[in-house]
Amino acid sequence: MERRDFIKRSVAVSAIGLTGGFSFISLLGNNKTYYFRPPGAVEESQFLAACIRCGKCVQDCPYDSLKLGSLEDGINIGTPYIEFRDVPCYMCADIPCIAACPTTALNHDLKDINSSNMGTAVLTDREDCLSLNGIRCEICYRVCPLTNKAITLTKHPQSITKKHTVFEPVVHKEICTGCGICENACPLDTPAITVLPTERGDKAAHYILLREQQS
Amino acid sequence: MSTLDRRDFIKSSAASLAVASLVASCGKKQEGDSNAQNVGGKVDQLGIKWDKSVCRFCGTGCGVLIGTKKDKVVATKGDPDCWSNKGLNCVKGYFLSKILYGKDRLTKPLIRKNGKLTESTWDEALDLIASKYEEVLKRDGSDGVAMFGSGQWTVFEGYAALKFMKAGLGYISKDGVGSNNLDPNARMCMASAVAAFMRTFQSDEPMGSYEDLEHADTFFTWGANMAEMHPVLFSRIMDTKMKNPDKVKIVDLGTQYTRVSEESDLYLEFKPQTDLAIANYFIHYIIKNKLYDKEFVDDNLVFKKGETNIGYGLKDGGADIPKTAGKMTKISFKEYKKFVSKFDAKYASKISGVPVAKLEEAAKLISDPNRKVCSYWTMGFNQHTRGTWVNQLVYSIHLLTGKISKPGEGPFSLTGQPSACGTAREVGTFVHRLPADLVVKVEAHRKIAADIWKIPVEKINPKVGKHTIEMFRAIDNGKIKLLWVQVANPYQSLPNLNRFTKAAMEKDVFIVVSDVYPTRSTEVADVVLPSSMWIEKEGMFGNAERRTQHWDKIVNAPGEAKNEIWQMIEVAKRLKIDSKTTVADKIFTYNEKTFYKDMWEEYRLFSLGRAKDLAPYDVLRKEHGVVWPYVAKNDKTDFTDVWDGIENTEANDYVSVKWRYNAKYDPYAAKFIKDHPERTFKDGIAFYKASKSDYCATVFAVPYEPAAEVPDKKYPFWLCTGRVLEHWHTGSMTMRVPELRRAVPRAVVNINPDDAKRMGINRGDLIRVKSRRGEVVFPADVNGRSVPQKGMVFIPFFDETRLVNQITLDCYDPISKEPDYKKCAVTIEKV
Repeated sequence: MERRDFIKRSVAVSAIGLTGGFSFISLLGNNKTYYFRPPGAVEESQFLAACIRCGKCVQDCPYDSLKLGSLEDGINIGTPYIEFRDVPCYMCADIPCIAACPTTALNHDLKDINSSNMGTAVLTDREDCLSLNGIRCEICYRVCPLTNKAITLTKHPQSITKKHTVFEPVVHKEICTGCGICENACPLDTPAITVLPTERGDKAAHYILLREQQS
Repeated sequence: MSTLDRRDFIKSSAASLAVASLVASCGKKQEGDSNAQNVGGKVDQLGIKWDKSVCRFCGTGCGVLIGTKKDKVVATKGDPDCWSNKGLNCVKGYFLSKILYGKDRLTKPLIRKNGKLTESTWDEALDLIASKYEEVLKRDGSDGVAMFGSGQWTVFEGYAALKFMKAGLGYISKDGVGSNNLDPNARMCMASAVAAFMRTFQSDEPMGSYEDLEHADTFFTWGANMAEMHPVLFSRIMDTKMKNPDKVKIVDLGTQYTRVSEESDLYLEFKPQTDLAIANYFIHYIIKNKLYDKEFVDDNLVFKKGETNIGYGLKDGGADIPKTAGKMTKISFKEYKKFVSKFDAKYASKISGVPVAKLEEAAKLISDPNRKVCSYWTMGFNQHTRGTWVNQLVYSIHLLTGKISKPGEGPFSLTGQPSACGTAREVGTFVHRLPADLVVKVEAHRKIAADIWKIPVEKINPKVGKHTIEMFRAIDNGKIKLLWVQVANPYQSLPNLNRFTKAAMEKDVFIVVSDVYPTRSTEVADVVLPSSMWIEKEGMFGNAERRTQHWDKIVNAPGEAKNEIWQMIEVAKRLKIDSKTTVADKIFTYNEKTFYKDMWEEYRLFSLGRAKDLAPYDVLRKEHGVVWPYVAKNDKTDFTDVWDGIENTEANDYVSVKWRYNAKYDPYAAKFIKDHPERTFKDGIAFYKASKSDYCATVFAVPYEPAAEVPDKKYPFWLCTGRVLEHWHTGSMTMRVPELRRAVPRAVVNINPDDAKRMGINRGDLIRVKSRRGEVVFPADVNGRSVPQKGMVFIPFFDETRLVNQITLDCYDPISKEPDYKKCAVTIEKV
């Protein structure tokens, strides 16, 4: 897939109540495009105000996960961003990108990378997902650095063979950091699991779900 | 696929599926009903030709249908008519066709000239190989040559190799006998299972069927990460559990927390090697609480005691192994009871580190008379310096409780390679074996083989050859001068690899490697022969449930790549016995047009009448796999008088036996019981192959003994090696599938979180793992898919850029001669 296509891929998500390390920009008419910031990035407008485009976070990323925005990318020139399908965030425990940041664009209070929130993985293509088709894949589940926490497997009967189990990867958005390792590893040409901006709507306080009663 | 519209494609395959299900609904579908709609070279409306085949990876034996157009595979699909997988595959199976099309396929023979592998012609390469065989065989005799083969050989290839080595070379060698220096990589995989089957039942391979996965309600996984290594089978266990969640229990016994542990009801994490103590405790519990099946014990079992302190094969030639290592001495049930009386819960808990309460809970489940218990294991048991013992102990548990040879009840040794059973075990491509459980050291057995092969019996060497580890040590010691490696990658997979790679490079040994891609083994070869793979040639594989699966040649191999059988025949043709005859004239006399059928029907003669009966070629070619014994109503043996009592024989003159030794399913058992009116057989089960122990299966008494190398101050960690779901064995195929490589690009060292915290290790840190034999650097994984116990690390072996086997230990089970890849001592440090 072309990198440009990837970045320009349009999605239908609500832009209301968004915070964190990602941003929407309007490029062509109503096409909404988003991209992702390094771990610990503050809310986008504050980020853009604080980031001095020094590129130090990009320089210190040991995996070359971070890239510098150029005019061609349609991203504010000189600001850092990640393309998960290319190189995801490998979640360094010492978070060198934040350590390198001379400003408050990246939150220096973030000490535990597992608490970062770059976005949230979503099983976007349920029809083509191999695991949902009963193929014993579940690569996203096994490569997730928060094994069995950010993604768990829910079991369903395989309705065609009637003898097997479908292991459905289920992302838990409270835990998922949006590191993109699952999106990177998905074996489909177009990944069935992708990182999307985390939606932070108000949690419905008027009803307690069964699973919440159990936990 | 790119030239096809996916939508049309799916529509057309849906149409053929609809026809198939229509056919199926016309009558009760029996195993063995073939569905001709989508196989046998039929071309669908899109011009795609469909043929049946079987997955090239693990021992599950998942059926796949292959769609080709213009000599290229354009699509594959799971085969709904293969009873081993019912149409499902894992993600490796999903990408199966891509293994054919890696960019660096070997297409020309290569000869090492001035240290560099250089392209040559087939004639030049084959002449050179034949001249080396002549030279070594005439100078050093049959001991000077060796062949290292594979559980990935097709049955035909393994059989051809067996004849080439054990019969053919006898016409050239100085000593006038063939060479038994023929061993498969299956030695590193399930030799312990084989030894234990032979010592317990006097017949190799499991008694049960994959259908046990639906019938059982209690699953014991012993050091087996089925969730990743046998994914399609594990998916069946989970389905059984979902259908009856309150009853069905999964008990996982292991040294690390895996994806099986995650799904289990009870997880027993034991210290490496102490499975011996736990199994003995289960037996102790069964006896103490009188949970054994008394009638079954009286009718069917004999008790034997093993020798102890049997060594570890650490010295060349097994010099540290007592000659009596494999001896079994008959004892009484009373003596046996006394022997196991010391293995109580307290003892087992102290040795294994498993809390008493957990041990008791598991013991209760495995011995519960109201539970149908199946045990599954693979490398955790087999790659074990006491692997034969621990296999036998699990058989003992199942035998004492009578939970064996019945639907949903039995011990089941899983296999890791597609034809570990079909080729390595059934053909007998081991240093001591001939087909159908026959062995070279017994004259009567050699006679059977010589008669079938129409050669003088003197040509077959009675001396057992050098098994895998000793074979490669013998190269280092200058005893073996010619090695031919086929369908295997020993220079990545051997333990203590540095010694063997060094020997291959420096010693006077001529190494031929037949393979499809460059590997660490082709790197040390003097000649590399480009081979055809999988559906580029006709073949059969035999899976873990004794199912033989045939496929036709479906596409042509690239370039000049050739079938290994052709390679062996061409060498045999160049080995001249006199001016008129060659070795090929003596052993490869099959008609060119009916080559595979002739070869199969000859090989099949070994199996008939021995309760190992294989199906005829024409049946296998038609069906989507046939389980043996495939017994004829009246052929070698007349079963007419018991035939009506056998299930699924209505209107059939043949029956595929799903539960061996059980008179309800196995005509041999029914016949045996009928012929022995003086004896009783509880539940109609008769171990009719155990002629050397009065037709009784053996319950075995052996204690716990420690591993060959145990962590100490200098090397404080256990190292365990293994696999991951995404990659298979040395990765020579799966690492060439871009999607699988992207998903898991490198091997990591899995570390227990407590150890990691103590040592300040984080995920992704580079870790130097060091043993007495070498050191290798791996990135760390902490709290990942596999979480080893405290004081242990786990590293998969697929990654050819980081060879974990440079640090493993070449110790082996003195009985099965299988190396232990699961236990040695290492130290770890941050780089």
